[in-house]
Amino acid sequence: MSRGVPFGAVVVSEWTKLRSVRSTWVCTALYLLVVATGGWFGAAITQSAPRADIAVSSALTGFGFGQVLVVVLGVLAVTSEFRTGMVLTSLTAVPGRGRLLMAKTVVVVVWTVLLTALLALFCWFAATRLTAVEGGIQLTDPAVQRQLLLQVACATLTAVLAVGLGALVRSSAGALGAGLGVMLVLPPVLAIMGSDQSRDLARVLPVFRVGDEAFFSVATSWQHGLLVLGVWAAAAWVLGVVLLSRRDV
Amino acid sequence: MIELRGLTKRYRTRVAVDALTVTVEPGRVTGFLGPNGSGKTTTMRCILGLTRPTEGTATVLGRPYRELSRPMRRVGALIDPRARHPGRSAYAHLLALAQSNALPRTRVDEVIELVGLDAVAHDRVRGFSLGMGQRLGIAAALLGDPDVLLLDEPVNGLDPEGIRWVRELLRSLADEGRTVLVSSHLMSEMEDTADHLVVLGRGRLLADVPMTELLGAHAAVRVRSPQAPLLASALQRAGGHVELEIDGALRVEGLESDEIGDIAFLTGARVHELARITASLEAAYLELTGDEVEYRGVAP
Repeated sequence: MSRGVPFGAVVVSEWTKLRSVRSTWVCTALYLLVVATGGWFGAAITQSAPRADIAVSSALTGFGFGQVLVVVLGVLAVTSEFRTGMVLTSLTAVPGRGRLLMAKTVVVVVWTVLLTALLALFCWFAATRLTAVEGGIQLTDPAVQRQLLLQVACATLTAVLAVGLGALVRSSAGALGAGLGVMLVLPPVLAIMGSDQSRDLARVLPVFRVGDEAFFSVATSWQHGLLVLGVWAAAAWVLGVVLLSRRDV
Repeated sequence: MIELRGLTKRYRTRVAVDALTVTVEPGRVTGFLGPNGSGKTTTMRCILGLTRPTEGTATVLGRPYRELSRPMRRVGALIDPRARHPGRSAYAHLLALAQSNALPRTRVDEVIELVGLDAVAHDRVRGFSLGMGQRLGIAAALLGDPDVLLLDEPVNGLDPEGIRWVRELLRSLADEGRTVLVSSHLMSEMEDTADHLVVLGRGRLLADVPMTELLGAHAAVRVRSPQAPLLASALQRAGGHVELEIDGALRVEGLESDEIGDIAFLTGARVHELARITASLEAAYLELTGDEVEYRGVAP
């Protein structure tokens, strides 16, 4: 480990790296566009809802596909270093590999939290404009807050999972394939197959979540979903650090 | 100072570096030579903790690289001119590196000016020529004003002006008491730059000698005489190794020119030419590595 350099310095360095490549801004713009548009339409086609949190949930629909961009952002933050050879320079500057990946994760997570929080608020706003609910949709309503906070939490865990996969797989195509495979492709396939085993398997996959619901998969409680996503994110990240530390670059 | 002790790196099917024990001393430019695939780059990667040795140790300033605090202040490295994101500007690249080691932002401007990239500092690296890429790599290595420099093929792709600039830079860094290890396959370049040589062949150490010694060991004397056969036998009796050159002159190893002159006088052989030839580094190097070349082209 390289004591002497404060961890904050490494985080600032990783922020410079993230903001100075075009792919970050492409992902950011697409994430904003997809989720905001999806949210506006989701709210527009829901003319009325029995409860405020259900109305908000409809407006969050855009996050279903929108979180693909979070996966791309997280994966590329790591794999672009391997693809370009930058990793040699990065690890020469910061030889503590866990330290480097932690700094990268912090930056990706903070950026994801910021964007997701902004988008969640926009979706809430869309719901208040377009969906009629008796008593209105108040931001102070705990049920509404839960939907929005869950969305931020799930997108954030998704980002951590993506960073971990990037460190594990090292190739952009491989890590994106693996990530989108277990999060977006396999869950609906398993749910449609409909056997007990396939449904059980779908329940333990880190499927994208929209508010408190699983996106295109077997329905699970939000506690269950958050736990599964959390375990996957932690496992991928820890395994990523271990392999990064062990393998040569 | 860089110390390698029994450094060995084995891959599944081949040995890249084989029990390498070398000390790279400060205050001089150490040239790191060897044919392609001889293990130079692997050795440098082991020193930087990028590759884990199978056996043995590599330490920089007495410690494994991974344990250095603020590594860029201790060691500057140029490993691969492509080791950067092509979509990032030179400035952002250097800024991120400086920040990662808590170096002041002013250092970035200083090294950009030092290597002469001011005009393109905010352009994407993608459009850089190989030579500009090398300059950026050297800028990154110098960012932390380090005690130790490791440069893998720094002059590759540089124009003559750039090559001279690198040579003078390395010289001045060594004169300031820093440790400079520089690999190259351009022998003529090394001959002008390095004080000391470490030569590898198939991962093994072939030579760890001062430049003058390596060149001296392959020196010879050229002597031309109308009575060449007479002189040749006299020189052989005196212990010289004599070969006949194409133009009829004799190439003598093992005797100094003054000895040869004296022998010629005593033998009564007239001498038309007597000259000491120092071997070029290239010749000395080829002789040293002749059996150790891994990838050799077949003569057509």
